[in-house]
Order: sequence, then C-alpha cells, then structure tokens
Amino acid sequence: MSEVRTIAKAKPFLAVAAVVLGLAATSGPLPAAGFTKQTSGLPGVPASRLGQPTVTDTVLYADDSPDVFARAGAVRDALGFPAGAARSGRHVKDGLQDAEYDEVADLGSAGQPISLTQFDGRGRLVTAVRFDLPPGLSAKVTSDQASKAAQGVLARSGLTPSGKAHVEPNPVAGGWDVHWPRTEAGFPVRGDETSLHVWQDGRVQSVARVEHQLSPLPSKRLGQADAHDVVTHQFDAWFAGRSSGYTVQNMDLQWVEPNAAFDPSKVGAAPTPYRLAWVADATPSGAAAEVIRQITLYVDAGNGTVIGGDVVE
Amino acid sequence: MRRAKALLVSVLIAVSALGATAQGALAFRGDVWSNSDSFTAHCLGFTDTWPRQLYSLNTAQMAALGYGPIGGALGPGFTRSSFLSNVFYDWAVYAHTHGDNYWAASGAPNVDSAILQDPGTGNCSSFSRDAIRSSAIKSATYGTFYNLVIMSTCKLGSSASTMPGAFQIEKTKSSTDRKFYIGYATLTYDSSQFRFESALWSYLNGAPSHQRTLYQAFTYAASIGGYPVPDSANPFQPNWWGNPNYNGTPGWM
Repeated sequence: MSEVRTIAKAKPFLAVAAVVLGLAATSGPLPAAGFTKQTSGLPGVPASRLGQPTVTDTVLYADDSPDVFARAGAVRDALGFPAGAARSGRHVKDGLQDAEYDEVADLGSAGQPISLTQFDGRGRLVTAVRFDLPPGLSAKVTSDQASKAAQGVLARSGLTPSGKAHVEPNPVAGGWDVHWPRTEAGFPVRGDETSLHVWQDGRVQSVARVEHQLSPLPSKRLGQADAHDVVTHQFDAWFAGRSSGYTVQNMDLQWVEPNAAFDPSKVGAAPTPYRLAWVADATPSGAAAEVIRQITLYVDAGNGTVIGGDVVE
Repeated sequence: MRRAKALLVSVLIAVSALGATAQGALAFRGDVWSNSDSFTAHCLGFTDTWPRQLYSLNTAQMAALGYGPIGGALGPGFTRSSFLSNVFYDWAVYAHTHGDNYWAASGAPNVDSAILQDPGTGNCSSFSRDAIRSSAIKSATYGTFYNLVIMSTCKLGSSASTMPGAFQIEKTKSSTDRKFYIGYATLTYDSSQFRFESALWSYLNGAPSHQRTLYQAFTYAASIGGYPVPDSANPFQPNWWGNPNYNGTPGWM
C-alpha cells in the first residue's frame, strides 16, 4: 500500500520537477489560451499532425448588433432559460464544425456562461442550451408531457417542425429527447432534425435545428433492385478473399451528405449539398465482425455510384 | 579556475540533459491513440478514414488545451505494450478504437471493459491478442490520477463500463477534483463521434484563457443534434463523469 502511495505521488512530483528545473524552453511554453487566433505550430505536436481547421471570432456588441441580441433574448425567454447578469456576443467562423454563426451567451455573476444561443447567417436559431446541472430526481414528466413541453417551447420560439415527434428516454442524461426528423420530397434527410432535450422536471435544456442544403432530385431514379446489385457488388469486392461476410439488413432512400468515409482522397474536401441516395446497412460476419458492428453504404440514387457511408466500430 | 569552469559546464550539461528528459517524458503529457490497421483495405477491403480524422482532430486540440508533449500513435504504434508503458506518465488519454464491456476473467456478471490495440501492419484484429483490459490499464497507472480521459469507442460510457475506474475516475457527476471522463454509452457511428468531438473541442478551446468547462463543452456538443444512429436501440448517448466545473487544463491544482 505504501508503495502504491509513493508511486501515486510520483507523477505530480516529477511534473513539478520538470517545471522547477526551468527547462520548459526545451520544447516551448505551454499554450496559455485557446486555439483561436492560432497561427503557428502547437508545442509537442509534429507538423504532420497540424493543418487542423481553426475557430476564429469577432466580438459583437449589443449597440452594434441589436438584432442579434434581441433574437437571443427572445429565444432565451421563450425557452425559460435564466437571464444572466450580463451578456456577451461574438461572430464565429468555426472551422471545426464547418459553420459560421452569431453567438450570444448569458453570463453569471462570475462571468461564466449560463446559457448560449447560436444563429445562422439568416438569423435562424441553430442551437440554444443552458449549462446549469439537471435537476434531481424529484419530478418525472411523462413522454406525453415532455412532448407537449417541447411543442410549446418551439411555438414560442417561432420554430414549426412538421410531422410527428419521436420521444425517447435518455437514461444517461435523464429526461427525454424529442426529435422531429426532417423529410423533403417524402424522404428523410439523414441527421437533419429539430431536437430538444427535456429535463425530467419538464423544463427544456436545449434546442437544436439541423438543416442542410439539398441537391435537386435526380431526374431518373435507380430502382431498389438495381441499387441492391450495386451494394452487393461493392461488398463482394471488398470481402472477396477475406474470411469475412456480410448481410444487408435494410435499404431505404435518404438524403445524405457525400463523404470521405471510404475514400481517403476526399478527406478534408469541402462539404457538398446532400444527395438522394439508397442507404444500405450491413452487418459483417467472420473476421470483420471482430472490430466492425455495422457498415452503412450510400449509393447515389441518380447515377448508382458509391458516394460515402459510415461505420460502427 | 579552469577546473572549476569545466565542472560548471559539466553540471549545466547534465542538468540540461536531465531536464530535457524530464520535460519530454514527465511534463503534462497527453497520449492520443487511434487504431487504423483494423480498418484498412487489407482487413476490410476498404479503408475507413474516420480513425485518421479523429486522431488528427484530437492531437491538435489536446495540445491546444495545454497538454504536451502529445504522444500516442496512429496505427501500428498503438500497441498494448506501448499503451501500458506510457499511461503512467500521462495526464490525458484519448483512444479511438473498438471497445466494449466484456466479462472479466472471473466470469459474469463481473465486467472488465477493454479496448483493442492496433493489430499492426498486415494484421487484422483478434480480441484474444489485441484486447487491452481496464484491469491491465489500472495496474499500469499505479493509482496516479488523470485529468482527461476520452474513450472514443462504443459502450465505454455506459454504466457498466469499468474504464473510468482504470484511471481513478469515479462514476459521479459531482467530483471536485480536476478530472473528467467522456465515453459513448451505445453503439455509435464514427461520423457521430467525429461530429460530437469536433463540437466539444470547438466550444472548449473556442474562447481565450480556458474559461469554459468540459461539462459546458460536453453539454453543448450533446445538444447540437444531427447525430445519425445505427438503429432505434442505439440512440446517440455520450456520457461523462467527473467535475462539472473543471476546464480541462492539465495539472492537479
């Protein structure tokens, strides 16, 4: 036991020793701030690992951007978020999320953010979230009550998602997740939705609206049988000669974002509008099943090419 | 006099060498590990690009948070022996690979969570050969504490996971120590992990002077929506344990 305790203290002691020795200069100082405005290399990171996108921002002042602050205040009040002692705003070019937005934070008395609202370039709400901790287990709203709370908040916020809400319990965060998946031309848009998290006492913790640009519908659409042939041909080519197999579980038409999942040459490419695609979910067997639980393939519904997909490891 | 000067030079050289070693090995080191060889054309017929993208994202952002040097490896350098021999020195650990909550050697219902090492160039994964058990990690840490642990795998954020305990992080959301663990509770698409982790880092490192907390960053990333799921039985559910007021910067005070 004493040996473990001695060793347990070694890491902090040795870190202190390294600092006390005044030798931090051997690999440069630790960064004192976030990576916004970062223009040079990061200490300790090989150059080959750099080239990451950055986040840059400019401060927004209420006097200069009254519309942004007014929208943020209206959304905050509609959602029932607490008002802060002060507010701060900024316009963000977010290279990590490949997004650009106006952001207003309500700040607590110590200057810490207590809630946040973000709006896109057209002034539409993208995300609103409060940062206080969820309530205890004293009250539990039902699924129906959570759905009604979500609908009430959306109506007050000017958001009008169509269709039926999907309500599911969130055992990790507590409370309920309420989603309105987006559909266009009768097909689901993969990932696009209006979603809310409702605490178990019925208050709303967050609202998000995800909406991507879509390409025109293809003039001629690949049938399911032909799409299935493309999928099996692709999987057969991938698994030929390997001790692995696959079973296609389901296929349906969705709007999807073409991506670099299976094509390294496309990593880092600019996003393109979503395309209508046949989406096939397959479960691997044999050796591949040791590390892969599901492979999802996107087949362009217009030209029958593989335009990306996804993996569950 | 000449002898004294020579001695002084020798002492300075020795201290510099010692310091360089200490700085390289013992400063606020973070390790980022990503298994890529399991997901190459050699094993699957296609090359899954997400492991590389997640590795690049997390090495850069962990450094921006103040950890350094950043070690670990993408691909064949991510071995069980390398992971276990380095983890003692780490203040932050990130791993992207296959992970799950497996029965312990003592049998059900005891769980001993595990991640898989990279199988090495030309090899494909085998659980019996590649598993790095949480019990082995715990032994290798010698009880030292960790600031930030991110298990970018399936399942290791679930209540059954024994991985937080391997790093002396209790499964509580009210710790007052400087520690934070993030994992995913269910089966999760790689694209969703990438979206979540991009948003997490964007928020956390997107303000000067590290004034934002990991809990805020987690809550923001979990709130932005847009996460496809493999099926209705596996909703997107990241999870955390640790200190809700901790900003993620390295150190014990």
